[in-house]
Amino acid sequence: MRRKLYIWLAAGLFVSGGSFDTHCVSCHRSTGVSLRDTFMNALLVYSGEQNMKAGLKYFLKHPSIETSVMPREYFQTHPLKAPTTLSDEELDEALSEYWERYKVIGRLQ
Amino acid sequence: MLQSERKSLRRFLALYGLLMLGIFSLLAYGYYRSQEEVMLTRYKSRMIDYAADQIRRLRQLHEKFPEERRYPRDSRFRSAIYDLEYVQIFSTLRDNRVDFLHDIYRSGGMIHYVKLLDSYYLGAKYLFIEVPEDREWSLRILGHIALAGVVLGVLLALLGYYLARLFVRPMRRSIELLDNFVQDTTHELNTPLGAILGNIEMIDSSRLGEKDRRRFERIAVAARTVSTLYEDLKFLTLERHRPTEDRRFDMAELIRERLEYFDVLFRSKNLTVHTDLQRAYLYADTRLMARVVDNLLSNAVKYNRPGKSVTVTLRPGRLVIADEGVGMAPEEVEEIFERYRRFNESEGGFGLGLDIVKRIAEHYGMQIRIESRKGEGTAVIITWKEGS
Repeated sequence: MRRKLYIWLAAGLFVSGGSFDTHCVSCHRSTGVSLRDTFMNALLVYSGEQNMKAGLKYFLKHPSIETSVMPREYFQTHPLKAPTTLSDEELDEALSEYWERYKVIGRLQ
Repeated sequence: MLQSERKSLRRFLALYGLLMLGIFSLLAYGYYRSQEEVMLTRYKSRMIDYAADQIRRLRQLHEKFPEERRYPRDSRFRSAIYDLEYVQIFSTLRDNRVDFLHDIYRSGGMIHYVKLLDSYYLGAKYLFIEVPEDREWSLRILGHIALAGVVLGVLLALLGYYLARLFVRPMRRSIELLDNFVQDTTHELNTPLGAILGNIEMIDSSRLGEKDRRRFERIAVAARTVSTLYEDLKFLTLERHRPTEDRRFDMAELIRERLEYFDVLFRSKNLTVHTDLQRAYLYADTRLMARVVDNLLSNAVKYNRPGKSVTVTLRPGRLVIADEGVGMAPEEVEEIFERYRRFNESEGGFGLGLDIVKRIAEHYGMQIRIESRKGEGTAVIITWKEGS
């Protein structure tokens, strides 16, 4: 009985994926906006990990052209995203995953 | 120069030396820092150019990352980038002890220049440029400081000597004043003392009644005490510069003669005298050696306790005069040869005795040692080279 429960739990986790994949990747894929480009733009503005996470979290909750890391021209062709409906925990988890996936530290030679 | 003068002088010079050393160290440090500043400014203009080149390369890498991952290197310098939160992104520095508070500084033989980026390429806010330090300037500056130290040291030593003389002048004046006073007093004492002693010699005490005989003995004790003091004063003020009349004589004979002279003083304090005298020949002025013996015997009486004893031991090359008196603490022993210093303030005298003993002993190359214990007594030991 316990063995069956473990199998269902593992399968459920595999299908659902992380918060970042579920809530960010799918949407960006459909709009064609590269997550790496947005990361590098964010890096130019925020520099450090904690600073970037805090800045992006605020933007996702209260989107505006002024606080976006994308250039103004970008919004001539793309609409401003709607405020996120994710909880703080989900946002933190997604942003941590985002940082780990695209960070520069440890990747230069 | 008196020991107290020497002590004051030593203290003054130590204080002066420390003060001058402190001032010189501060000046040297200020000079060193200012020269370091000049040297760093020279480096800075070059390193600003290096930083501009590196920022340009970082921008290019930022645009090409992650396809291009090789951190830009330059043969002229090493560099490192740190983010806003002081986390190292990448470094080729030899010395990674970085300082975010100064724009240029020295560290472990390297010079670091810190440039703050306006756009955080690759997330970098701080760019560190590192070049090896030219050690020659440091040696050159230390050479300047050493040279200045020598020149200033000589000048300050001369100034110190002048100030030290000014410093001890009041003390020297007081001593001179006291010496003059003693000289005048000695001169005035000569005639009345001669009259007292002459008349005492003429009186036949055996013809006096018991009561008068005691009174007479007290007068004789007092007169001999004053006479000893007078002889000391005369030696110090009038006879010190007189040439000595050295001859070979037996010290034992001289001591016996002086013990006889002091007999009345021993009896006045009910002291027992133990003598152990062997023949000991000396080539010296008997008048001066009598001053030595008189002063030591006088102290042995003066600082002894009634009913105790005085022991005089003479061997070839060694004289010991010991008492069972009040004794001294070790720190008192150190200062006891000072002129005008007394064993204790309760006893009379000018404190000239041991100063005279010391002068005479030094003149004949004799050594004086004092062994004393507070409350137990004092032994003065004079040694000389046998046959001298």
